Amino acid sequence: MSQSAPPRADFGHIPVTFSSYLSEQLRGWETLFPAEQAYLERLSRYLGKAPASMFAPLEEIEKKMGVNQQKWPRGKFTLEQVDFLNRNANYQQWRAEIARLFGRIDPVLEEEVIAKGRPRAVIVLSPAELPVGPDRLWTRLEGQGRRVRLSVPEEPDHYLALLLGGDTDPGWGHLLCSAAKRAPYSVWAIETGEQLSAFCRGPGTVHLSYDLLSAYRLRLMAEVQKIAEDAEVKGPRQLSERLKGLKMRPEESSIAGDGVLSEFARTTLLAGNGTLLVNNTFVEWSAIQALRRARPEVLLVAFGIRNKLKPFSSLLIFHDQNKATAIPTQADMLGSYVDLEVFYEYVWREAAKHPEYRNNTAYVFAAIGMDELLLIAPQDFPLETAPDRRWSLSEVQQSIRTWLGG
Amino acid sequence: MRKRDFLRLAGLAVADRILPASLYGYWQKALERTPAARRVILVTFGGGVRYSETFSPEGLRNIPRLAALRPEGYFFRECWNNGVLSHFNSTASIVTGHWQRVDDFGFQPPASPTLFEFYRKAMKAGPLDAWVIATNKSFAAMGASGDRRYGLPTGANVVLPKQLLLDAVKDIARNPSGAGMADREEVLQRLETVLQEGYEGVGWTIFKSGRELDRHVRETLTRALGEFIHGPEAPTAGDELTFFITREVMREFAPRLMLVNFWDMDVAHWGSYSLYLQAITKTDKLTGMLWEEIQSNERYKDNTVLLILPELGRDGDLNTSNGFLNHRSGDPSCRRTWLLALGSGVKGETDRPVRHIDLAPTAAALLGMAQPETGGALLRELQA
Repeated sequence: MSQSAPPRADFGHIPVTFSSYLSEQLRGWETLFPAEQAYLERLSRYLGKAPASMFAPLEEIEKKMGVNQQKWPRGKFTLEQVDFLNRNANYQQWRAEIARLFGRIDPVLEEEVIAKGRPRAVIVLSPAELPVGPDRLWTRLEGQGRRVRLSVPEEPDHYLALLLGGDTDPGWGHLLCSAAKRAPYSVWAIETGEQLSAFCRGPGTVHLSYDLLSAYRLRLMAEVQKIAEDAEVKGPRQLSERLKGLKMRPEESSIAGDGVLSEFARTTLLAGNGTLLVNNTFVEWSAIQALRRARPEVLLVAFGIRNKLKPFSSLLIFHDQNKATAIPTQADMLGSYVDLEVFYEYVWREAAKHPEYRNNTAYVFAAIGMDELLLIAPQDFPLETAPDRRWSLSEVQQSIRTWLGG
Repeated sequence: MRKRDFLRLAGLAVADRILPASLYGYWQKALERTPAARRVILVTFGGGVRYSETFSPEGLRNIPRLAALRPEGYFFRECWNNGVLSHFNSTASIVTGHWQRVDDFGFQPPASPTLFEFYRKAMKAGPLDAWVIATNKSFAAMGASGDRRYGLPTGANVVLPKQLLLDAVKDIARNPSGAGMADREEVLQRLETVLQEGYEGVGWTIFKSGRELDRHVRETLTRALGEFIHGPEAPTAGDELTFFITREVMREFAPRLMLVNFWDMDVAHWGSYSLYLQAITKTDKLTGMLWEEIQSNERYKDNTVLLILPELGRDGDLNTSNGFLNHRSGDPSCRRTWLLALGSGVKGETDRPVRHIDLAPTAAALLGMAQPETGGALLRELQA
């Protein structure tokens, strides 16, 4: 966690619907990742010097929307205000103007990031159980890269060890362990199960697992259900306020002691996007949020197989499905395949949005046990221009290490 | 919360506040005297669905029934939702003809009079002649507006089948017996119990002097529950029940105006693209079955217009807010939907952009009403 203090800036010349968001971000400074803090510092510096005239169109729109001191006191940012914006007749105009402003601000702020750019890697692993071959696994992304043939071990269990551990000591594990030499939160491993645990022992490496968070997840589900059934809250806005208090307990996860990470897990699990309920959704949304917020240099993502919905009991979304019905749990292989095809694309697209990843990121889409992978990488990535032959997993691993300077 | 309040808020607010049983027969007879009276059924792909998963070339495989029906009707390629992109406000905009900006979660009724109120007041239609049957359980207030000139006395019956289902399933979870939810008969029994208890609480408020009618409605809904439970598939959500209740209401009461809201595709929020696609295909199938019911029901055949449209789209894949999972970005993928009109007597397609708020004045015209005051415009293409 960064020990730096939030930037002190006077945003009095900036329209309140814009500056409130910024104030809110600064208020949560201690729960931000270094990349977020650095961005806010750059943004604050920029806005401190920005002429008021830049915001004149937004000010006009705020007037039309009926924004005033009473509805929107400066320095406050509430869900009611978000609701006010969403339901306002001028919302579309407001949103377009915000997009226009960031279209002007972001290129300036990105220059600094691009100047400090360094090679990055995003590795996305699919489970061995998917019922399709490499010709159908990455159809949404195929046009972006090329398939690389692999020689793979007979035993699927050895696949990960060769790709991540390497057949020479210390291999990929060394890279992860050296995370401490990199900036904090710069190496992430996110997965449904526990197969990456062995490769994520390095201090400073972030390891998030849907299964390993089960104690916290089940408590959150029970709490959400209780809040809803007690009818103590009127609606989602009030619910959101209540959920802020559901912090992770030390006995629930090894990341509980890290204020930034435990808050990341809380907000990810309570994002309302199925992250509490579906293992792969948790992995996808965590990966998206990690890219958006922490901007890791190495992101390792391992998806799994989700379960089929059970008749009737699946209506009780916050119940433990293993206890709610006697119907046995079944894996949904085909459904998982369809889900993941979209998620591969979303992870790739999210990274591509951020300047840290543009033109310097190797994306490796692999499936455990499969004899091909999909590679999307810059021309100077070692494997990119290599001859078409079968590559060993340790050669792939070595290419990534070389690329990352490991 | 008391049971009665619970049902009023969340589930089963059936029919008008005053309906003597004798009047029901009067309305039925009046309807039978005018068999050619046109009927309108609005079907929403609630929860939101993108063009890319429906009427785009690659999406057609998800909606085989609508794709096959398209040449039989009139297809508007661009039907825009320019309002608030929440479920309640989107559907309320469709049924009022004004962009609604009320509470997103149904804690307020629509601010402008609904089509149901216009219709019942203008046509002096009976209370069983306008229905809302919605999977979205927050649509309890969809049947009538907060406008004092209209309001509940002229509103639609609102049935929220999923809430009924949820109540029964919760009851089993709380008080398990036998195989619990693995036993469909057990689920049916609990559903019937909830309906029975609920009707005792809700019924007398609704049908102040309608004991016979009360039993009639209850029997109709109970029949629908049986069809649902004994259906070929093991239901995981609410849209099938919405369909069966709709069909029973059509067979028993033949309302002239209905809104049917399918909503299971909102499972997209869970982040499962396959479940989202399955729900779209299920909605396509149920909508096709609804059209078949119209064709085989003497009171609907050849005099019913079915207006089918998504209440909203969902965010595009390029969007910053996680693509199909959400629907708040305001990008074209979220706002641009389509409209298929079956049974108007007009066939064809148009690129002319129309809006969700054009549905209410158009439905009013199809029902033979004077134009109500709305912010929308008539879809002239549907005037045969």
